[in-house]
Amino acid sequence: MDMLLAIWKSETMTVPESLGVAVVGILIVLAELAFLAVFIIILSKLIGFFTSKKKGASQPDPIASPVPAGVPLPDTRSEGTLDLINVDEPTAAAIMAIVSNESGIPLNRLSFKSIKLLEDK
Amino acid sequence: MNFESITEILTGIWNSSGFAGITWQNGVMILVSFVFLFLAIKKKFEPLLLVPIAFGILLANMPAAGLMADPAGLMTDLPPGAVREPWYHDGVLRLIYAGVKSSIFPCLIFMGIGAMTDFGPLLANPVSLLLGAAAQLGIYIAFIIAIALGKIPAIGFTPEEAASIAIIGGADGPTAILVASKLAPQMLGPIALAAYSYMALIPLIQPPIMKALTTEKERKVEMKQLRTVTKTEKILFPIVVFVVVALLLPSAAPLIGFLMLGNLFKECGVTERLSDTAQNSLINIVTIMLGTTVGATANGEDFLQPKTLAIVFLGLMAFCFSTVGGVLFGKLLYLITGGKINPLIGSAGVSAVPMAARVSQTEGRKYNPKNFLLMHAMGANVAGVIGSAVAAGFLLLMFGK
Repeated sequence: MDMLLAIWKSETMTVPESLGVAVVGILIVLAELAFLAVFIIILSKLIGFFTSKKKGASQPDPIASPVPAGVPLPDTRSEGTLDLINVDEPTAAAIMAIVSNESGIPLNRLSFKSIKLLEDK
Repeated sequence: MNFESITEILTGIWNSSGFAGITWQNGVMILVSFVFLFLAIKKKFEPLLLVPIAFGILLANMPAAGLMADPAGLMTDLPPGAVREPWYHDGVLRLIYAGVKSSIFPCLIFMGIGAMTDFGPLLANPVSLLLGAAAQLGIYIAFIIAIALGKIPAIGFTPEEAASIAIIGGADGPTAILVASKLAPQMLGPIALAAYSYMALIPLIQPPIMKALTTEKERKVEMKQLRTVTKTEKILFPIVVFVVVALLLPSAAPLIGFLMLGNLFKECGVTERLSDTAQNSLINIVTIMLGTTVGATANGEDFLQPKTLAIVFLGLMAFCFSTVGGVLFGKLLYLITGGKINPLIGSAGVSAVPMAARVSQTEGRKYNPKNFLLMHAMGANVAGVIGSAVAAGFLLLMFGK
């Protein structure tokens, strides 16, 4: 700490002093971001806990609930046809997964008609 | 009108023209600006930044045009005995440059970046934050090397200059500009140019390092799909990050504050117009002014020095060691998690968003075509933005006396 204070006040620096600054610097960045990571994990757990509690409290009465108009497919199944125009299957799969992830709608509730590669004009 | 008076008039016109006042340094810098314009327009080499920067170099090196003149002494010391003129007599670029000098432009750019950034992958996998921290290693290695090189008389970096050069390793243009404008404004031009040039060269710089430091088995690791992040988490994240970082390291507050404000505009769902402005019109306007004025700081007399070559070399070192830090930490996580983390995502911890994440994705697919590392790499990538801002905050705290 004394060394850091001396560096703070000094106009020049030796290589060992710069090594000290570098070590302290990288440790500060690591510690701060590790602290943030822990904070985010705790926050996620808390939000997850309260969300599940809220969902549990507002669970509708199974007898009173109306029958949904369209019954979704099981998570592992999908159906229908999809036109791929100049797009390979892995790319199409990735696009569908991204759309599902970004929209928050499970893949088995989404309907894709076609995926087409657009050329730059 | 006789012959002598015509000659006198022509001599007067010649003497007041730029041709009479041009120095060899101006000439070289004008040629440099032509090369940059060629690279930007023909080779599409970071054109959105390089065109304004290159034209700024051209503007500032036009002799007698005075676009960066400062007779009011707003930002430079007046010569002894000179009379201080009103502020509106300063060159137009000098006045716009006040936005760089005062940190307004880098902060507004950070707001735009925040409005464009999805922190979802980071929230889904908070360990990415550690990769973003480890990939700042290059900053500190370059700092040590710069101090060591400073013992060479022709170079002679002060600690403030060494810190400004080292921040190039953060791979973040606005951060590098902010630190350099505070600690070593005389070096802002070469530092900004080096930072943006290396960011454009990431697809060339990183892959050999990634390959050298990882085994084929590690590069083939498939990472499991990230969990879905709730809207509440995304809204709370910018607020929490700003409060935590600003309390721990207040000198990082301007950059992190504007980054998180932009992100809150994006995520809160009730400020779509503000988010749209921040990530489109505003960032474009500020980029024009920042790019042009940063280019205009590349004055021939200051730029063509041995120090500039040293900056270019140290910037490359900083970039390489930052990649090394990220990949090595990725390897550590690979070991700790029993092979669940692909070390290639570590290189994305340098903050160049989204270029570095794309490099991780491309390299990962070379060794395992079924591999989709992009979202995981984006987590490390956006963590790098926070990491470089924290590193900048530390350097400003240490050297911003």
